[in-house]
Amino acid sequence: MGNVLSILFCLSLFYVCITSRVKGFVTVLRIQGILLSIIIVIPFIYHFSVFGIILPVTILLVKVYLIPKYINKIILDLDIKRMIEPTIQQFSFLLLVIVTMTVIFIVTHILSQSTELNVIPFASGFSAIIIGIYIIMFRKKLIVHVAGFLILENGIFLFGTSVASELPVMIEMGMLLDVFVVVFLMGIAINNISTTLSGFDVTALGRLKD
Amino acid sequence: MFEFFIFIILPLITSLICYFIKNLRIQYCISLVPGILHFGLALCIFIGFYHTNLPFLFGIDALSKLWILILSNVYFWVVLVSYSYLKRPVNSKAEAGKQYYFLLLNFYLAANSAAILSNHFGMYWVAVEATTLSVAPLIYFYRNEEALEAMWKYLFLISIGIAFAFIGILFLTLSAKGTILEGKQLFFWEFIKNAGQLNPIWLKASFVFIFVGLSTKIGLAPMQSGDIDATSNAPSPIAALMSGSLRITALLGVLRILEIIRPTATYEFAKLIMIIGGMLSIFVAFVFMFKVNNYKRMLAYSSVEHLGIITLGIGIGGLAFIGAIYHAIYNSITKVILFLTAGNIHSRYQSREVSKVTSVMKLMPVTGWLFLISFFAISGIPPSGIFFSEIKIFEGILFSTKPGLLFIAMFFLLFIFINMGKIIFSMLYNKGTNDKQDNSIEKFEFIHFVTIALLIILIALAIISPDILFNRISSIGKDFGINL
Repeated sequence: MGNVLSILFCLSLFYVCITSRVKGFVTVLRIQGILLSIIIVIPFIYHFSVFGIILPVTILLVKVYLIPKYINKIILDLDIKRMIEPTIQQFSFLLLVIVTMTVIFIVTHILSQSTELNVIPFASGFSAIIIGIYIIMFRKKLIVHVAGFLILENGIFLFGTSVASELPVMIEMGMLLDVFVVVFLMGIAINNISTTLSGFDVTALGRLKD
Repeated sequence: MFEFFIFIILPLITSLICYFIKNLRIQYCISLVPGILHFGLALCIFIGFYHTNLPFLFGIDALSKLWILILSNVYFWVVLVSYSYLKRPVNSKAEAGKQYYFLLLNFYLAANSAAILSNHFGMYWVAVEATTLSVAPLIYFYRNEEALEAMWKYLFLISIGIAFAFIGILFLTLSAKGTILEGKQLFFWEFIKNAGQLNPIWLKASFVFIFVGLSTKIGLAPMQSGDIDATSNAPSPIAALMSGSLRITALLGVLRILEIIRPTATYEFAKLIMIIGGMLSIFVAFVFMFKVNNYKRMLAYSSVEHLGIITLGIGIGGLAFIGAIYHAIYNSITKVILFLTAGNIHSRYQSREVSKVTSVMKLMPVTGWLFLISFFAISGIPPSGIFFSEIKIFEGILFSTKPGLLFIAMFFLLFIFINMGKIIFSMLYNKGTNDKQDNSIEKFEFIHFVTIALLIILIALAIISPDILFNRISSIGKDFGINL
């Protein structure tokens, strides 16, 4: 079940590569949030515990409701254009992502022979981390950069579920809170950048140089 | 539990109180309370007058005893001068933002203390990320375009860096698969005890990710850009706080993983990575000192240089490691002095450009002299402590297996000294066209008193070199397998 959900998570990454609309990113963030919650809740279906439910519910609240709603609010308030303004073509980007994911899956498979690894969630999570970085590199809009950062964070979360059962719920909650506050501050910054620097993309940021 | 209350809970409470109280003077008085208590308790713990009993996820060892004292010291002086700094006129937008200054400062103290006192990688990560969140709005203090850009870059780059560090932590978990650590918590000390059983490949990957990720926050090249922009555009007390305490808190994470790696075969690899990081940082500072035209950026590059020296010393090990720990202490104090005096200059000239700052010695004699002395101090001119710590590091390098590095490093440091000197002397003695428009001589202010006090502490520490300091640093050395 976890593997199927991880593959769905990977498919959401492909959608991110081909979508040209900013709102497409928000939808993907919602879908990924739901998938992560389900992946985390699966082990607790047969061993129900209140502590086990707290984290998935918080993920649903933060990653599926609060953050997407906040990003949508920024898009509406600032009247950010719907198109993402890529720096490379969607098709080239898709090719790059496919090659990257293929390499990650092959390397993970090789590594799994020496270390006990859950290949599909591990490789899917790591793919999301790299694709999050690609999005930051190859897209101009700052709000899309925030989405890229969140995809990277989702990737770390998925990656984490495949390797670690070591983190107490309190720390996982702390991480979620940190991510939420980071996004909140980034939203405030974008708001100010749009008014002070008159722009929504990275070209507005070029004052600080040596 | 008392120390947990003073170090973490009390700053959180005062932070909350500062949210409800709008009067800056009252906020200042309230913020002084955790500052003084934190400093006093950290000193008592360091000397050995007080024995700690921290709750789950927290603990204290020789390294964190010193680190919490460095934080306390920097924070105490920064909070002490903050009110006189805030009284200076700024634009109306920045004026409105002043009410959040002490709130964020107190929150920073709690977050940074939690990071230093944590004995769990997860807790450390959460706390370090919280320090970013507390500092980022403070970088935007002046509410201008540069500050906004600096805040965005800092927030974004550091968050990504910290995310990478988290991947490193997950790799560390992987390295424990199949050992007795599997399924247990990510406690530093458990990992140190059982380091020999860890998988070397994942351990290497873990170190690389943690080192590269935290480099964004330490300000090591090539990940220094966000930190440079932030330090140079933040108000001077915040820049002092970042250079004096925040960077070394991030370095603590690297030291923790290094402590785990030490008994393993991966240690040599980790040391090599640290040497490369250190040398690269010194090189970047060397290159940018030729072209920098902003004196606060110059100080930020100086921080990159000195964190590079510390990292190099840690990477070399032995006596250089001990020197690096001394260097962390002296650098933190000197950076506070430098940034506070640079703040005085900025307040007067309203510019960070070197070409627009002239005749400082004539118009601001006290600040000018302090700036000059602190420049000599950071350059390692005796009797500054930096001189003694650098001597230890250099001696360590000379008698290591890589003595050639010493000559390369000294070549870079010489040119950094010359270029910094050129910039500082031009600011102090060059005559400008606008000198006659405002030729009032500055008065002796509270900030001057604080910087003089810090200079005295810096020199006294170096000359007296208290036994307790040496013993504590030796204990840290022992934890890293160094016996002097």
